[in-house]
Amino acid sequence: MSRRTALQIGVYGLVCVIILLVPSVVDNAFILNKYARYLVLGILAMALSLSWGYTGILNLGQAVSFGLGSYSMAMALKLRTVPIHTGKGGLPDFMVWNNVTTLPWVWEPFYSLTFAFIAGIAVPAIFAALLGWFMFKGRITGVYVAIVTLAVLVVVNLLIIDLQRYTGGFNGITDLAQLQVFGLVFDAYGSETYYLIAVFLTVSLFFALAVTKSKAGLILQAIRDHEDRVRYFGYDVAHFKIFAFSVSAGIAGLAGMLYTIVMEFASPTFVGVPLSLSLVIWCAVGGRQSLLGAMLGAIIVTGMQGALSESKIFLETWMLIMGLVFVIVVLFLPKGLAGAAEMLAKRLLGNDKAAAAKETELPVRERASGEAGGAR
Amino acid sequence: MTSTGSIGCDHLVLTDVSVSFNGFRAVDGLSLKVAEGELRCIIGPNGAGKTTALDMICGKITPTWGEIVFEGKRLNNLEEHEIARAGIGRKFQVPSVFRELTVRQNLDVAYSKRRGVFANAFCFGRGAEWDGLEKLAELVGLENHLDTPAGHLSHGHTQWLEISLLLAQDPKLILMDEPTAGMTGYETRKTAELFNRLKVKHTLIVVEHDMGFVKEIGEVISVMHQGKLLAEGSVGDIERDPGVRSVYLGSGGISRA
Repeated sequence: MSRRTALQIGVYGLVCVIILLVPSVVDNAFILNKYARYLVLGILAMALSLSWGYTGILNLGQAVSFGLGSYSMAMALKLRTVPIHTGKGGLPDFMVWNNVTTLPWVWEPFYSLTFAFIAGIAVPAIFAALLGWFMFKGRITGVYVAIVTLAVLVVVNLLIIDLQRYTGGFNGITDLAQLQVFGLVFDAYGSETYYLIAVFLTVSLFFALAVTKSKAGLILQAIRDHEDRVRYFGYDVAHFKIFAFSVSAGIAGLAGMLYTIVMEFASPTFVGVPLSLSLVIWCAVGGRQSLLGAMLGAIIVTGMQGALSESKIFLETWMLIMGLVFVIVVLFLPKGLAGAAEMLAKRLLGNDKAAAAKETELPVRERASGEAGGAR
Repeated sequence: MTSTGSIGCDHLVLTDVSVSFNGFRAVDGLSLKVAEGELRCIIGPNGAGKTTALDMICGKITPTWGEIVFEGKRLNNLEEHEIARAGIGRKFQVPSVFRELTVRQNLDVAYSKRRGVFANAFCFGRGAEWDGLEKLAELVGLENHLDTPAGHLSHGHTQWLEISLLLAQDPKLILMDEPTAGMTGYETRKTAELFNRLKVKHTLIVVEHDMGFVKEIGEVISVMHQGKLLAEGSVGDIERDPGVRSVYLGSGGISRA
């Protein structure tokens, strides 16, 4: 393990510990719920960093995966509520309003919570793999990937709104039961939910870190850098891209499930263009080439948004301030906050190292010319 | 060394290969046989189709007509990575390394014994194989730059990195497109030395402009002109060939090409 990797694991671990310690300081249920929400968006941005930052796939449809995860959790929790009209075991309320008489077959398996958990990750991952197969086998790259994924997002969003009988349409799926697993009840405003999210954040962050540290992760970065060259080493670039795209979608699906738990509903806005585009901005602010950077970027930006929009002074101007922050970051910190932090750390720690590097450079040149003399 | 040129040992065979871009035939009925362990130089004036020929062998361009066979395997419709897996490596004219990755990471990517996604997803750290890569960096004089991003290397170092990437990949057939472009005299000689060492174990095809270099490494030289094979033979044969002389007329003959 290189020193850099060890340092990285240390910093990542430290951040996760701090996040896990928050409930011991904050005991306001409303604030804790808000923080939990930011953390979920942090997971989502981290997933995007895996595909965009590491592999160079700008996925503007990340909210599709998020929404699929969110809806599968919402469907499972909806089936656990006791409907007002039909009583226990009856149809969900919105289906009654839409004159649906029997539970649609897609809903059936969601009586099982285990199925819902698996589907929340597997469905987005498989969907992304299929979409990726068409795009990357067809060698669609760069901005065209962004266009295709954005178009897919719009289609999925319209479908969810249009299939009101099965999805609750524009209103989404509301009035959900609380998640209960192993006797634990996850109230959206309780610390259990916060811990649940913090633990999944830690797990998914380290899982993604492991992916980037494997040889496959290195090949993904090579693909971002010079896709064509990678092919001539015998790697099937499309397979690697599908892998990254799909893993990223799976993590986004997990984030979607957690979002439903913390928001207590699922809505077409979770599959919306605004969310998907904001996500790209959060990633860019935090530093897309750093998993932790992208995650903290999302947490910081959404946190700032929340704080500014709730304060009386900035009630009118908070959008303007956020816009200004984005412009400044994009102009002056091309690698985002993570890049700035790394540069700062290098300045502080690496001054003597840089000097040492300069010293070694000279003898190398001398030796090269010495060899040249010998060769003659 | 294996017997050069005998039909049984043909490593790569191009039969009547042509490619047409909107009617323009960049390569026109090229036939070429390269024996196993041979070092073949391809020379020719600008626009002769040398690079296009390499592009077709490594799968970047699909030939319109003709057949390319490597070790008895037809390459025509294979994808780039399949051709690479068959054992063909390529160095491009324009340096193409992974600029954002360090020299070490570049070499690690090039060392491609396992090509599958999942084989690589569960591959962490480097074992004994990495020692070899470090020796490789030493061989090309990059041992002090292992942690430098490739984008920060000088032009000469970048060329060496490219060559070392090929060595890490260890293909059976190496295609080199102008390996010495931008190199100093010393570096060019070092490259020639390296190629001479590589040739028996690997088959090499080198496209080159520098005649001094070609003379140093070339056994059999193929001269291309306007997409066709103009002449083939030893350095002496080529220099005496009247057809070649007329093509290079005005540039002072082939020796100064």
